[in-house]
Amino acid sequence: MNREPYQGPQGGPPPPPGPINQATPRASDAAAKMLYNCADCGAENEIRPKEPLRCKECGHRIMYKQRTKKMVQFEAR
Amino acid sequence: MDYSDNADNNNNNENPDENDSDLEVSDILNFHTEKGTVIDPQSMTFSISGEEHTLGNALRYMIMQNPEVEYCGYSIPHPSEDKLNIRIQTTENTTAINAMRKGLEDLKSLCAKITETFCEANNKFDEKNSIS
Amino acid sequence: MKKSTSKKASTIQDRLEVLQTRVVVERDSVSSISSSDFPFHTNNQYPNHDVLERLRKKIKIAIEKKSQYDMEFDIIGIDASIANALRRIMIAEVPTMAIEKVFIYDNTSIIQDEVLAHRLGLIPIKADPDQFDFKQSTEHPTDQNTIVFKLKQECKRNPKATANDTDPKQLYINHNVYSAALTWEPKGDQAERFKNCFIGPVHDDILIAQMRPGQKIELEAHCEKGCGKEHAKWSPAATASYRLMPEIILKEEITGDLADKFASCFAPGVVEVEKTNVDGESIKVAKVVNPRIDTVSREVLRHKEFEDKVQLTRIRDHFIFRVESTGILDSEKIVFDSLQILSSKCTMLLKALDLKLKEKEEVDTSQKNDNAMDLDV
Repeated sequence: MNREPYQGPQGGPPPPPGPINQATPRASDAAAKMLYNCADCGAENEIRPKEPLRCKECGHRIMYKQRTKKMVQFEAR
Repeated sequence: MDYSDNADNNNNNENPDENDSDLEVSDILNFHTEKGTVIDPQSMTFSISGEEHTLGNALRYMIMQNPEVEYCGYSIPHPSEDKLNIRIQTTENTTAINAMRKGLEDLKSLCAKITETFCEANNKFDEKNSIS
Repeated sequence: MKKSTSKKASTIQDRLEVLQTRVVVERDSVSSISSSDFPFHTNNQYPNHDVLERLRKKIKIAIEKKSQYDMEFDIIGIDASIANALRRIMIAEVPTMAIEKVFIYDNTSIIQDEVLAHRLGLIPIKADPDQFDFKQSTEHPTDQNTIVFKLKQECKRNPKATANDTDPKQLYINHNVYSAALTWEPKGDQAERFKNCFIGPVHDDILIAQMRPGQKIELEAHCEKGCGKEHAKWSPAATASYRLMPEIILKEEITGDLADKFASCFAPGVVEVEKTNVDGESIKVAKVVNPRIDTVSREVLRHKEFEDKVQLTRIRDHFIFRVESTGILDSEKIVFDSLQILSSKCTMLLKALDLKLKEKEEVDTSQKNDNAMDLDV
């Protein structure tokens, strides 16, 4: 099956005013890449701005956010 | 030993109301005669915190076995209050405090007797069944 | 006057005796329920014996059945209030160890963290509770009040699985998380203290969660000491209950075909039909053989022909206890502990009473001294 690459809506809302291009990168951007899991094959994917949202392994378009790496405490009740 | 890395996360379940055992021993039991009446050692209401029907009914039964006790009853005024009230009224021959003390001592001695009898029966059963 | 009195009319004394010692089960009600063994309840005489000594002498205990975690025993000669206190303590106040805090590092299975934690809490943990202290919420965990378990499991595809396999057991490895996966991690001197006794889940085959390839559970669980009244996971008793010994009183002999019908009104084995020779003729007679196993269904009271011939009662001071353990404590230990706890409650209150009296005395004397000083001035 041949799939057309997804095209975003043309002529969306105008870009917000302000210095977009001069935006200083936040500390977290460099520190940790945001990884997502493909809902179909489970492969890890990195999502970058403006890139099409598509699994690099299987082409599936649904991604799950990964679970926090932090320890979570619960009461066994 | 060191559990400290986890201990830091323990703060979210601190509930001061749950600490029964933090109570001082003397705070467990209170007694008073009715406010505004003449102090009468023969009739008193004891207030016990941290106990419920388990002890209340058993203790009421033991106190009622005392022939000098004219009345004994217990109540838990409100289920969300951790409180048990025991009312004792006695004849002239004793006081409510003495009746209470005798009730507690009798219940203790009954427990000891049941323990002893249970122990005997248990040993007897074990002996009989290890032979056969 | 109704002519309700049968040929063998019971005397008033006999009937009073029944009312005092039996709970009477009637066709559509239960009567003579409350106990009446209190001074002046049934007569106006001051008891001339030591009441306590009489109570103590009445007590008889017999063990009927016992295995390590299950027992049935009779206590004869106590009041319902004492029996009930023991039952309630066995369920709610005998302490055990159970998982209370769960630190989840990773859980990508479909079972939610809080549900997983709850399931872990309910697993019976075999550990001697006498060896541990209660942990107050302000206290830090130590080797005296906490047992630590770790659980780490990851599900993978089974490389040996064939294309035709559909069974998860063949397809995956580690897809079932059982209680056996909880591994005890001795802290402090625990390894030394418990080198001769087992610490871990009572059963190894309790299913905690299921996973699929790529999913993972990693956590640490802390056991604490607690009582059933706070949460049922701490209750050592799977069942702790009592019932009163049933009694079937035959007022008249039931013979012939009626005897068969009579026997069929009870659970099998309660009533048996025997053959006796009367005047050279063999007659069937109903005999009550084993009232203990009767269910007290009251079926017999529905039939007109047995009216006035039978009375169903229960013996007021004969308690048949059944104590089944979850496997943490031996069944007899639960009973011993409950007796010990009831006794220590009394000790505690006696101590509190003495302290309170002392306190009051001190207040009174200081007040008197104050008054005396006032007079001096």
